[in-house]
Amino acid sequence: MGDGSIPVRDMTREDDERIWRMEAELAHAQRLVGDLRDRDALKTQFLSNIAHDLRTPLTAIITHAEILRDGILGKVNGRQRESINTIITGGRQLLDMIAEILLYAKGSGEPLMLTESEFFFADIVDQVCQLNESLVAKKELILDRRVPPNLPSISGDKDKIMHVLLNLLGNALEFTPPGGSVWIEAQLVTGHEPSTSLLVEVGDTGRGIAPDHHELIFREFAQVDASTSRAHHGTGLGLTIARRFVELHGGRIWVESDLGKGSRFFFTIPLRRTEA
Amino acid sequence: MGARVLVIEDSVLITSALQILLESHGYDVRVSRTVADATRAISDFPPHVVLVDLTLPDGDGLAVLKAFPETQPRPKILVMTGQDDAATRARCADAGCDGVLIKPVPINDLIEVMASVIA
Repeated sequence: MGDGSIPVRDMTREDDERIWRMEAELAHAQRLVGDLRDRDALKTQFLSNIAHDLRTPLTAIITHAEILRDGILGKVNGRQRESINTIITGGRQLLDMIAEILLYAKGSGEPLMLTESEFFFADIVDQVCQLNESLVAKKELILDRRVPPNLPSISGDKDKIMHVLLNLLGNALEFTPPGGSVWIEAQLVTGHEPSTSLLVEVGDTGRGIAPDHHELIFREFAQVDASTSRAHHGTGLGLTIARRFVELHGGRIWVESDLGKGSRFFFTIPLRRTEA
Repeated sequence: MGARVLVIEDSVLITSALQILLESHGYDVRVSRTVADATRAISDFPPHVVLVDLTLPDGDGLAVLKAFPETQPRPKILVMTGQDDAATRARCADAGCDGVLIKPVPINDLIEVMASVIA
């Protein structure tokens, strides 16, 4: 055949059998994928249901404890009040963890949407610092906010960006020993990103993270210290959710850190972006 | 008795706390567990304030807003929800609610908000 055409031959019985086998394997693989998707959806629904069902009794426990603390049902002494306050604090910590599981389950089930508005990033920094005021004072930390006054307004999902900042600052405050420093810095950058971006840094002088854990900490359920006796508890979902929220805005999030040298978490939010 | 408060919430654990709290501050409290129950309660217990959960066994808590006769002044509507997001706040504002309280509402905040909407 010198004319370049492809030689055609009749299908043999072996060819038929091969095609039949491949079709059967394909059908099996498709069933398997469908089955795995169903199980994943079931897991997500279970997480969502259990988180919702845990929240209701916890809400009641906290409210009843506050009623006792404030002496509405009778006088309480100092030690009783202290004990009740521990119930309230513990309950609120549990609620935060449940909220994180719910957020994760929500994001896994269906595509997350951005509720966009125009806002000043400095306002979020103010709110986040204010929310953590008492913890900063209790641990005698220095919290420094370095946000230039002329930073323009940005467009994005205010709740989600605030959630990211709250998570990063919460981690920084938790893992920095008393007397240490924590800071939030924001600036505009151009170059590597598709457009001008807001670059945010949350840094601390805490214990730091070994370089081989830098990717791991953004993975779901991952914790650097996975032992049951670990000193810091949490769902292991905070940074996974933070990464999801940042990427939803078309930005990225990363960490620069080493053991004993503190941590610097960065994230970017493009000012003008195309759909992520 | 003081101002009438209709609490619409299906969890007895939560309503028992709200009842103790509000009654200790002089409010006249009635509890409904469903939209249907609340709709029936309104005629013989016209509330000054409605504290409503968004997720009720027979539907969306905001459906209760339709039960109030247009001829009478509408009570103040305070939504209690665990969903702390902009979309929920916007939905409640569009429906004409007077406030959104995120569960668990610190009791001092709740009493403060109640006093301010009634004033």
